[in-house]
Amino acid sequence: MATVEVKELRKSFDDVETLHGISFSIPDGSFVALVGPSGCGKSTILRLIAGLEEITSGDIHIGGNLINDIEPKNRNIAMVFQNYALYPHLTVAKNMGFSLKLLKKSKAEIERAVKEAAEILGIGELLHRLPKQLSGGQRQRVAMGRAIVRQPQVFLFDEPLSNLDAKLRVQMRAELKELHRRLATTTIYVTHDQIEAMTMADIVVVMRDGHVEQVGRPLELYDNPVNQFVAGFIGSPAMNFFSVRTDAGSDEMVLSDGQRLLKPTHAALDGSYIIGIRPEHIRLDGNGASFEAFIQSSEQTGSETLLQARLADQEITILLRERFDTSLGDAHKFLVDSAAIQVFDTKTGVRVEP
Amino acid sequence: MSAKARVRRTNFMLDIALFIICILLLTPLILLIANGFKTPQEMLVWPPTLFPKDPTLQNFQKVFTETPLLRWMFNSFAFAILSTVAIVSTSALAGYIIGKFPFRSVNVIFVLFLATAIIPFEVYMIPLYFQVKALGFLNSIGGLLVGYLVMSFGIFLIRQNVIASIPDELLEAARIDGGGELWIFWHVVLPLLRGPLAALAVLAFFQAWTAFAWPIVVTTRKTSFTIEVGLANFQSAYTIDLSLLSAASAAVMVPSVIAFVLLRRNFVEGIAASGMKE
Repeated sequence: MATVEVKELRKSFDDVETLHGISFSIPDGSFVALVGPSGCGKSTILRLIAGLEEITSGDIHIGGNLINDIEPKNRNIAMVFQNYALYPHLTVAKNMGFSLKLLKKSKAEIERAVKEAAEILGIGELLHRLPKQLSGGQRQRVAMGRAIVRQPQVFLFDEPLSNLDAKLRVQMRAELKELHRRLATTTIYVTHDQIEAMTMADIVVVMRDGHVEQVGRPLELYDNPVNQFVAGFIGSPAMNFFSVRTDAGSDEMVLSDGQRLLKPTHAALDGSYIIGIRPEHIRLDGNGASFEAFIQSSEQTGSETLLQARLADQEITILLRERFDTSLGDAHKFLVDSAAIQVFDTKTGVRVEP
Repeated sequence: MSAKARVRRTNFMLDIALFIICILLLTPLILLIANGFKTPQEMLVWPPTLFPKDPTLQNFQKVFTETPLLRWMFNSFAFAILSTVAIVSTSALAGYIIGKFPFRSVNVIFVLFLATAIIPFEVYMIPLYFQVKALGFLNSIGGLLVGYLVMSFGIFLIRQNVIASIPDELLEAARIDGGGELWIFWHVVLPLLRGPLAALAVLAFFQAWTAFAWPIVVTTRKTSFTIEVGLANFQSAYTIDLSLLSAASAAVMVPSVIAFVLLRRNFVEGIAASGMKE
């Protein structure tokens, strides 16, 4: 167990800088998710921490020690790869004991450690099989077992669930979380799936184009995103964005088609803005200022209704916590809780603080 | 005609065709072995007899007593084994490095390796001969081996297999697990290349075993001949001792047939393994 400190980290490949000064710190024993669209540099950070790539500039500390020039094997980390990277010619037990064998541990010691890890993961009966005889989920567990056996200071996960089917992914998510609770080892988890990040992590680092956009607790990111990117990236279905105009004297905001919404009471807004409305903050009209939208599609899941509608020449996604019968092309009135509207600067995308 | 009957008829035709091809392939071999047991008179009978009327072991006796046939076989065997070991190890190492460490300089070297494949051996055979002579390697296994330590096709074959069947993550996992580069090569890379390496070994062995031009250039002493050179020696400018040559050839075939039978499975496995991705 250890803290991980990343300071002003930069990485260039052939003169192209892909990480532009990344800084964040990870408290001892916490579960941190690095999340962002593909190509944002999240996997590169993980590979730099693992020592698989050379740092161009900046520092990485693990447990207070500077590890920039330390070889991967001496960093006391374990990594789980997206394709599991199990040794195809070795049995499960040998795969898991590989690192201990390299540490010249005794046979009995290795056997005990492997058995222990296998028990935690429920793969005790698979120890004598070869990786090709295992299912995807079992391979995933073996890969985690290989990491656990080492008792590393830090676990590094590189999109470990993306090769699994949807159902198994949900199950493994819970297992991983439980595993982290039991072992309490500092964990860095890279994913492009914000749901994984939100559901598993204590702290989420949102990245884009080699920059950190925001670091925070999952719900903090959801409720108080610092900019339009984070607001749009976190949350599923994603937030709706609209351009509006308003002036200081009015308490309303005007959409491009002339419809009006109530201004969030707290903000003294004047000029053009982008507003963000989460799909679940839209309700069927009761009384009050509302807008009209034309239904384009409707998905009923039983407990919820997901609508795609047309508003101000744009798609708007609406998530209703109730059943709602409608036909395509119908116009309906909807109400937005004005306190839940988030306002962003048109040019910079930065959130206008309440 | 029912579908079943049609399938049976097709299979029967296939069997016949294969049988005929088999006969065509085997007849010369059978004739060769038969000739080894014939008297010189029967050798010249037309049409040739498939089974000798008056089988004799004289030819074999003569071959083994009058020529150092066993010595030649030993030379060929030592040459082929050492060449195989050298080619397999150089190809494994070079193929792995070229496949997984693609620096610009490494790629240049790879292109140079491939370039050697388009230059016929005969072109540099004579200069090579002078070098071997200057080194004092004539008439020795060392001299024979000079042209047979590295095979550009072998390097290419292993490189392709490394790229197709060893993902980078596997090597990275091994590095994190604490393996040094040589250790990884030995314990992770080599076991995964067993199939293609076995195929290459068979290829390399028979390349050396059947080599003729280079051995005849570097060996001048009768005791240092390889089997191919030795057999050719039965054939002088004016005479051919056919019965002796047949007996010698038949005797020589034995180890090479045994070797093929033993390695056949590896050969097929290697080709199959290298031909498909998991």
